[in-house]
Amino acid sequence: MSHGEIIAPTGFHARPRYLRHMEKQPTQFADRAALVAHVKALSPLAGDDGVSDTRGGRAAAERLLAAIDPTAYGHSRNYLDGAVTRLSPYIRHAIVNLNEVRNRALEMGDGKALEKFIQELGWRDFWQRIYAQNPDWIWRDIEAYKTGFAPDDYADTLPPDIAAGETESAAMNHFIATLKTTGYLHNHARMYLAAYIVHWRRVTWQAGARFFLAHLLDGDPASNNLSFQWVASTFANKPYFFNLENLQKFAGMDAPCDYHTNKCFGGSYDDLAVKLFPHMEAL
Amino acid sequence: MSRFIWLHEDCLRATHPVFAHAPQARAVFIWDDAYMDAMHYGLKRRVFIYETLCDLPVEIYAGDTIDTWRALQNMAGASDIITGKTPNPALKAIMQTLREGLQITTIADAPFVHLDAAKDDAGQLRRFFKYWNKAKKNAFLYDGRP
Repeated sequence: MSHGEIIAPTGFHARPRYLRHMEKQPTQFADRAALVAHVKALSPLAGDDGVSDTRGGRAAAERLLAAIDPTAYGHSRNYLDGAVTRLSPYIRHAIVNLNEVRNRALEMGDGKALEKFIQELGWRDFWQRIYAQNPDWIWRDIEAYKTGFAPDDYADTLPPDIAAGETESAAMNHFIATLKTTGYLHNHARMYLAAYIVHWRRVTWQAGARFFLAHLLDGDPASNNLSFQWVASTFANKPYFFNLENLQKFAGMDAPCDYHTNKCFGGSYDDLAVKLFPHMEAL
Repeated sequence: MSRFIWLHEDCLRATHPVFAHAPQARAVFIWDDAYMDAMHYGLKRRVFIYETLCDLPVEIYAGDTIDTWRALQNMAGASDIITGKTPNPALKAIMQTLREGLQITTIADAPFVHLDAAKDDAGQLRRFFKYWNKAKKNAFLYDGRP
């Protein structure tokens, strides 16, 4: 195989291979628990970190597609309780495609009201085009960090407290728990958590990207990893970071964002830049 | 000698153009656990994909993708495979290996926007707004084209 270092599950070759290959897998189950048990049996190394309430399949996607509100999305998309569509896992696997979503939006309003909504669909298209043109960009630094640090200054593995959702920040812990439980995070929460991992904890964006891919239902090598590189500054002109005021404004309705449990984000952007990027000349 | 549809993770839709391209063909999804390990997929994603498959006109087989297609070639006469176009280099590498002995045809999904290839900086795409300044001319039009 050519897609990475792979360890065959125990017993993988215990039976004649052609027989295993020709066993048609079931598509009808008594209930969801039976389906989950079957997937666990097929994927013994996938871990047992729970199952999302989000259901796969076209019917679920069509219900969400019918409920989109592109105008409200344009006004509220940056807020964690904004009118986002939750279509991303379905778009990720082409259960619906961008063309259908855009066409549905066009039935609902005029161009100006749809501008932000359709532009966000454009981001997905842009990342996929980049992926097709430069597949080697997905896991390597496209450019140097603009943080004043060298790649070797970043840890290669995710610290256990981040994986466990037991960091110094109550807001980040909330996002991590949401990610692990639901398989979904609002885009702004992804940016906050990615910036925390890369800039506050000085961990490589690759370690953060692997963590997200393991949990996100919509995790896509291009959208996920190139967004991580944008946050890290290896695919942008400057690093993305935020302060507590910004966090409280956009995430305060969803996550615990008080100062006492999120002290590391306190201060102005200038103060934080000095703290996070002491070797960087100027933003 | 038979034509098959290979439904992989980037084309999980009954209205994907692969079906229109080969309406009589058997459609197969191969549950390649090692592939999903390499893609870093956890249990949540795998359940989501399996649930999606249960609603599709597709036969699911578990095993290594290349070995399974070789078995289908030997046991069911698979000779001609229609599959979805993908940017994923792991899937492209599998397709390239399968081309030794099988005919592989990739079918693209309906695009979000039709860009003028002559004006599209192929291989030069880097910053979003350079792309968007071209894409937005058609992005607000039905089917992404005039």
